[in-house]
Amino acid sequence: MAAVHGDAHGHDDHHPSGIMRWVTTTNHKDIGTMYLWFSFTMFLIGGFLAMGIRAELYQPGIQILQPELFNQFTTLHGLIMVFGAIMPAFVGFANWQVPLMIGAPDMAFARMNNWSFWLLPVAGTLLVSSFFVPGGAAAGGWTFYPPLSTQGGLGVDLMIFAVHILGASSIMGSINIITTILNMRAPGMTLMKMPMFVWTWLITAYLLVLVMPVLAGVVTMLLTDRHFGTSFFNAAGGGDPVMFQHIFWFFGHPEVYIMILPAFGIVSEIIPTFARKPLFGYSSMVYATASIAILSCVVWAHHMFTAGMPTVGQLFFMYATMLIAVPTGVKVFNWTATMWRGSMTFETPMLFAIGFIFLFVIGGFSGVICAIVPIDIQVQDTYYVIAHFHYVLVSGALFSLFAGVYYWLPKWTGNMYNETLGKWHFWLSMFFFNLTFFVQHFLGLAGMPRRIPDYNLQFADFNMVSSIGAFGFGLTQLLFLYIVISCIRSGEKSPEKPWDGATTLEWTHLPCPAPYHSFEKPPIVK
Amino acid sequence: MVEANSKSNILMMKKLLIFTLIMFVFGYALVPFYEKFCEVTGINNLLQPDVLAKDNRVDEDRWIAIEFDANVRGLPWQFKPLQTSARIHPGEPINVMYEITNNSDREVTGQAIPSYSPRFLDKHLKKFECFCFTKQVLKPNETLQMPVQFVIDSELPAEINTVTISYTFFELPAGASPVKK
Amino acid sequence: MNKITEKQSGARIWQIAKAVMFAFMGVRKKSDLEHDAATLTPAQVIIGGIVGAIIFVLSIMLVVRLVVS
Repeated sequence: MAAVHGDAHGHDDHHPSGIMRWVTTTNHKDIGTMYLWFSFTMFLIGGFLAMGIRAELYQPGIQILQPELFNQFTTLHGLIMVFGAIMPAFVGFANWQVPLMIGAPDMAFARMNNWSFWLLPVAGTLLVSSFFVPGGAAAGGWTFYPPLSTQGGLGVDLMIFAVHILGASSIMGSINIITTILNMRAPGMTLMKMPMFVWTWLITAYLLVLVMPVLAGVVTMLLTDRHFGTSFFNAAGGGDPVMFQHIFWFFGHPEVYIMILPAFGIVSEIIPTFARKPLFGYSSMVYATASIAILSCVVWAHHMFTAGMPTVGQLFFMYATMLIAVPTGVKVFNWTATMWRGSMTFETPMLFAIGFIFLFVIGGFSGVICAIVPIDIQVQDTYYVIAHFHYVLVSGALFSLFAGVYYWLPKWTGNMYNETLGKWHFWLSMFFFNLTFFVQHFLGLAGMPRRIPDYNLQFADFNMVSSIGAFGFGLTQLLFLYIVISCIRSGEKSPEKPWDGATTLEWTHLPCPAPYHSFEKPPIVK
Repeated sequence: MVEANSKSNILMMKKLLIFTLIMFVFGYALVPFYEKFCEVTGINNLLQPDVLAKDNRVDEDRWIAIEFDANVRGLPWQFKPLQTSARIHPGEPINVMYEITNNSDREVTGQAIPSYSPRFLDKHLKKFECFCFTKQVLKPNETLQMPVQFVIDSELPAEINTVTISYTFFELPAGASPVKK
Repeated sequence: MNKITEKQSGARIWQIAKAVMFAFMGVRKKSDLEHDAATLTPAQVIIGGIVGAIIFVLSIMLVVRLVVS
């Protein structure tokens, strides 16, 4: 991507060339690009860990990973995918698209933007290098519950610092996004005319500044418990390990929506474009997003039904959780209604968006099932839960990211991706994803616990199927890498408006690729 | 225009930073809030003596077997109950003695944490006195006998006829504040 | 200005309450939304949203009480 921008617009830019251009850049497009490449790198690392996990689980018995290392793999897979891949990828999208979609020249705080990106590689390095310190990486699960996380070695400390840094980066990113959206919209772009993607990111950014500091607080407590003799979570000193779970999930549940709301935004841009109809019930969508954000703060303890809770508490969190399905359902109906009687075409972005809706609904329903206390007590910590949240995070968040990349690649690079290969990528992902994770529902219902390197013989067949699916899914993502690189280097020149149904500012007011400096004179929105 | 814009941007950033700080403090405020909440609702009450309900009655027709268990985690102590089991009626008070011996040459502070089987026994166990309500300090080679006094109320489900009451002593770091409250 | 009658401020509160209630369900007519956007300030909507969330929590707690009693 560097080459594209540099060649086309070198004459009016006074930025250093080579590596220093990327280190010192304050341009929202450059930073967005770096966010996306960083998150893709972390996605490959997290994917490598996933391959390790599935290879070990291919057969019963211990073959490849010793249990200690296996636990490190599962823990770091979760942390890297959540904090290193999914979240920065969405921030990358926000960096690229928010200014383009609201007609702003750049983000509000360009230097802070550069800083919040460059914190990420530091945190990523800390996480990855923790495998090589004595005692290995953190191994107590990505939720780092005490007492395991107060007992682990240096790896846990590195993880705590990494989470601190990632949290600081996210908070700065959100402050930037909120300020940009609220203060820098083009004249005439009222709040209720903003594209859905911008709306979902505005609400996500507010959720981030609401809960990320709480996460920072709880990991700080963990750190002082480990090294400075406090006993927030140490029962012997009058603390309470269950309290950790409450504070963690007060962050953790809104975090789930932080990872899915921008996905809703991307899909809400793509579906109308390829159905060639305006988004059905735009206002309902805005309201539903806000409603999901508020409700997400009062349902956290459904992650803890078996941690010890009075019946009254279980019932409260069960009812509240089930009600959150209402605004989410409204969104699904709105997408479906947008497609209804539209003149649809099925390019790769649309395929991924439809795949998203289809599979996200499965993940949503298994979520409602898990919300029911008596069932949750059965499936708690089994592969059913694994299947549930991978349906939401992989076929939800990740598929929407793929959809968004294909949708905006022509705008970013000026080149078209290879449509045939894109379709291959979609169908292979779809097939292997379901092969991997659908059978995990059965494993979970049959009682296979999560986070174990070995299992009973009765689970052998489904695990083999799941592992084969996982290898296929992993290899398919290399195809994605190839598609993106070949699009940047040698893709066909994109037409000025590759998607005739697109109505947002970046398609109607800017050429492909978007110039390095765009909207220096704000467009007038009618 | 640009000036005004950057001014209002910085104002917005300040507001958001203050909000972030408030949420960070809120994270810490959850700790006392959680403790208060547990105290008010009576969940997780480890350190307060219970009061016997006025309508407590002794159920002469039922027997409950109680097993006593004692563990130490990471301190040089020997810790054991003076009787390993007992049989009582629901509603009947009982006094059990435990003994700890400090086998080391230093002063050691410990705190006992109870644990029950079945887990919901805590709803029916009323403790009037317990060495677990405070920390225990033992001088080098000292031996101490300490009581636990309690009642298991007659609301205990009829199908339960054996329960286990277990205590584990954890070491408190020297100079650590005694257990809160 | 002070003469904004009680009736009007009552109507305003009702309008905020309606906006928040529809928001929680996630369904709103376009024309109503534009009306809201034109007449309500963000502060009003946010306070309304927080009050709405408290009412939501309390009403679920009430239902739970009814169920377990």
